[in-house]
Order: sequence, then C-alpha cells, then structure tokens
Amino acid sequence: MKNVLERLLNLLACLLTAGRPVTADEIRHTVAGYEDKSDEAFHRMFERDKDLLREMGIPLELHPTDIWEVEFGYFLPPDEYQLDDPGLTDEERTALWLAAQIVRLGGQPQGPDALLKLGGIPFSGGGEPLAAELGLGSAGLATAFQAVADRSILEFTYRDSSRRLHPYGLVHQRGHWYLVGHAPGQGVKAFRVDKTSQVIVTSEPGAFDRPPGFKASDAIPRAPWEAGEEDIRAEVRFDADVSWWAERQLPSNAVREHHDDGSITAHMDVANEDAFIGWLLVFEDKAEVLAPAELRARLVERVGGVA
Amino acid sequence: MNRTAQRLNRILSMLPWVIANPGATVDEVCERFGYSSKDLIADLDLVFVCGLPGYGPGDLMVAYVEDDEVVVDMADYFARPLRLTPAEGLGLLASGLAVISSGQAPPSLERAVEKLGAALTPDGGEVLTVDLAGEPHLVGLLRKAAAEGHVVDIVYASLGKGETKERSVEPWSVASALGNWYLSAYCRSAGGERIFRVDRIREANFTDEGFAKPAHPPAVEVRYLPGEDDVRATIRLTNRARWVAEYYPIEIVEDDTTGLVIRFSAGDVAVIARLLLRLGNDAELVEGPGVAEALSDLRARILTRYGSGA
Repeated sequence: MKNVLERLLNLLACLLTAGRPVTADEIRHTVAGYEDKSDEAFHRMFERDKDLLREMGIPLELHPTDIWEVEFGYFLPPDEYQLDDPGLTDEERTALWLAAQIVRLGGQPQGPDALLKLGGIPFSGGGEPLAAELGLGSAGLATAFQAVADRSILEFTYRDSSRRLHPYGLVHQRGHWYLVGHAPGQGVKAFRVDKTSQVIVTSEPGAFDRPPGFKASDAIPRAPWEAGEEDIRAEVRFDADVSWWAERQLPSNAVREHHDDGSITAHMDVANEDAFIGWLLVFEDKAEVLAPAELRARLVERVGGVA
Repeated sequence: MNRTAQRLNRILSMLPWVIANPGATVDEVCERFGYSSKDLIADLDLVFVCGLPGYGPGDLMVAYVEDDEVVVDMADYFARPLRLTPAEGLGLLASGLAVISSGQAPPSLERAVEKLGAALTPDGGEVLTVDLAGEPHLVGLLRKAAAEGHVVDIVYASLGKGETKERSVEPWSVASALGNWYLSAYCRSAGGERIFRVDRIREANFTDEGFAKPAHPPAVEVRYLPGEDDVRATIRLTNRARWVAEYYPIEIVEDDTTGLVIRFSAGDVAVIARLLLRLGNDAELVEGPGVAEALSDLRARILTRYGSGA
C-alpha cells in the first residue's frame, strides 16, 4: 500500500502544480513510482490509480495539450479538487458527525471520510442509537444531488421512458426521495427517485438557473398518489374503525365530511391511480371508492386479479 | 472507499489542517483525525519522500515530528482539503436535515447545515429538504416517556387483525425508518420486547408509574426482524416490483434479469395478502402457509363491499 500511496501523492502533486494537461507519457517518465515499467504494466497501474482517484471524487480530466488537439493530457482543475470550505467550528462538526451517526441512507453507516475533509472530528461520539433510516431510493441519488448542486442537466429513465430534466432540488418525504425539476414543456415536476434508473449528468455545471427563492418542498406532493400525471378527483368512504388512521394520512387539502357513525368521506386529488389504489387496499374492505366510477372499476379490476 | 483510498483521504485531510494550524501537537492531530501516533508517524514518513518531479531536497515535502509538534512544509499544493463527493455531501446534509426535522437538533447542527448547504449550493434556495413527518405529538410524548422512564398506556391498532388493543408499555426509544416512526418498548401486556408503528398508536397516555430501563436497550431495528411466530411466504416479483426489497424485511432467494424471488416474513398473514393484492400481476405467490386463503378471503371481502360478488 505504501508504494501506491507514494505514487498517488506524487501524481497529485505533479498535476496540481502543472497548471496544464500532462500526457500519460510524461507522467510515466517524470512521476516517481511509474518508472521502469513495461507499457502494459504502466497502463494497468495508471488505470487502477485513476479509478481509485475517481472513487475518492478526484476528477482527472483529459484535455488537449495544444490547440491542434493532437495530444491529450490529464488535467486536475484545482477548483474541482478543492473543498469549498464551509468553515465549520469544532462544535458544528461534532453536531454534524453525530447526526451522520444516527441517520442512514440505504443501510450504509457513513464513514468519517467526509468529516476528515472538513477538518476532522474533535471527538468521536458513537453509541447513539440509530434514529432514522432515509433509504437511498436508487443508486442514482448521489448523481442527482450532484446535478442539483452543480445545476447540471440530468437524464434518466422513469416509467420506461427517458427524461431530461433541469434538476432543481431533492426532497425526502414519507419515506421516499423525490427529484424535483423543470422538464421541457411540462413545467416543474416531482419524480420518485426509486422509480428512476440510468441517472446520468449530461451537461457542464451551471447549465440553468434555479428560480429565485425556489423551495423544493413546494413542488412535492403531499401524498404518494399526488405524484403523477393523472388528474382525478376521488371520493372515498372510510369506516369508523379506520377513519382515525386514514385521517392522519390524508393530505391537508383533502376535504373531509365527518359522519355521525364515526366514518368519514374524503374528497381528494389523485394524480397516480396505481399508488392511490395501493394505499387504499391497506384498509381492506373498510374503505370504498364512491366516485368516480372509473376509479371504482379500476380497483375492482385490480382486486379481481388477472384482467 | 477501500483502505488505500481511506488512508490517502486521511493524509490529504490531515496535511491542510496541520498547514493551517502550525504548532499542532501529535496528540491534537491524532485525536482530530483518529490516528494512533504510530500511524501518524508512518503517514508523515510517507509524505516526506514524496513531492514534485526532480525529487531532490528542494522538491520533496517536509513532514516530521519535532518536540511533539507536527511539522509540515513545502506542501502548499496540498494546503486545501479535497472537496466532498456528491454522496458525502448528500449524506451529511441529509443527516443534518433529518435530525433538524425530528425536532432534536442543537443550534450548532442548524448552523452546520446552513453553512454546508451554502457551500454545496451557493446559488441559494432550499434545494434539499428532509421531512420526517409523523405524529409529532405522539413522537414527542413517547420520546419523553422513554427518556424519563415512564410507563405509557397505548391503544394500538393491529391492522393485520383489524382490531385495536390496549397495551401497557415501557418505552425504550423512538426512531424513524423509511417514512414511518417506530417505538421500541417492553410490552407488559405481551410480556416481551415489541416494536410499534407510531402512526398506528391511536392514543397514548403518560402514567406516573416509572420503570427501570435496561442499561443497553436494543436500538430500534430499521428492518423489522422476523420473529419465531411469523408467517413466511416465498414470492416471485417482476422487475417492476423490485422496490419491495427495499421497503420490507425480506430475504432474497433468487435474483435474475426477470425479477426476484424473495422470502417475506410478517407477524400476520394478512400483511402478506395485502402486499400481494397491491402488487397485482407483479407478484406471484410461490408458497406460504395460509397465504392463498387469506388472499382470496381479502379479495372476496373487498369485492363484496363493491357489490361485485366474489
């Protein structure tokens, strides 16, 4: 490991001070650790080193060495290497570290690597009970966050079709991550991150501006069935023994009629029929869609099994 | 990150701090970066032999310990720490926001999140939001009872069985997982450790009776742990229903390009029946005692309600 580390430190020192693209050939002949290797051994070693640096978030960009673009070299833009230091105090770092200890994204405990970059941890807490699991939604979550932070255009697959989005923000609500952004011709929309795949950044940073004062949470549906493209006004009856539980889950803008027997009738907007039926089925036969007739029919069809 | 990357990351984090804090002692650096003094010396020795091409005395970095002080020089190109990866930035910010949303955050965390958010998204706006919405009033009450060691009487709806029951519990801790709040407690009525979903607690009443909390109560398991009496079913899922694997306590039996085969455990067969009904054609029951019967009973009851006959 010692040789690898020395080689990587030498490589980074060289690239950070070069201020120009450095060709692989130059690296091979001037950076200590790469010398005296066969072509094949050098390439294998250099590819492994680049992978490791990429994994650490160190971007090696390939740039032409001159205007004729005959040769290409590796360039390490200092702006993309260096931390934009938020200037945390020890107390603030400790608070952040403790928060990272009790909150997980997708079951993986967060290591100390990020806190070390921010200036180390004054003391290690530990022993705190796990207090929140946010889930990861999809492997694309971190990529989506990067695009949100950098204001880069994102492309991804959602419900079997490909989407292109100006990602404005990310929201975690009711156990799901939502990606909020502007889709060409569609206005601001929210997408469930766990239903996305093949999430990739397809532009340089700064490709769009967020609307001033943008609040990602404003674009988020208040209930899972409000994330979608359908436009249905549903009327549902909840029996007395489940109405208290249903009420806790209704979005604040649902209209509720309370009946003397303790049951309620709720009127609400449904943008995602599937999600709505899925939620209603939890109430088994203690909830009933009263209108519209099409929604009733869809539910019956769903319950009836193979249509 | 693998071990090499972790070690390199620590070196590249330690160097800027030492450069910015001349005169730092070995103990300070060790404590802050989680080093043993032996490991710190090893990393400084390593830095000492690295530097710029030429690798002569004027090209190499200087790093050593003198009179208990860590000295780093000729390493200005490593004076700034590495920037956070997207996953790291998201992890820290989301964790901070989650704790703030739970109403448990000290002011220092709020300041940290504000600074970090401003550094990561300098154009402003609230671009990342974490909302652990639940039952703020019940969560607060239960957390207080757990902290102070008060017995709580609850009315709990077991929707699997379609009934509510009064229970007397000794609350240990409250936690949020994937959109739901959970209470971990000793249930006096059941005579054992139980996990309750807070949104299904219809009522909770603080009592004056105290209890002795175990020294190390088990943390609320994010994933529900299958118990001895649980019903188990084997279910084949299509790719469209893969999300089930993240949201439920399952065991993956097979995983191929067409989908998954999972083992699903639940306290009540009705839970499995409801899931199958919800998934429709995206799930197929392979085997599970009583599940097919529960599913057809559930179907019949709902269809009766809709006047469609069974």
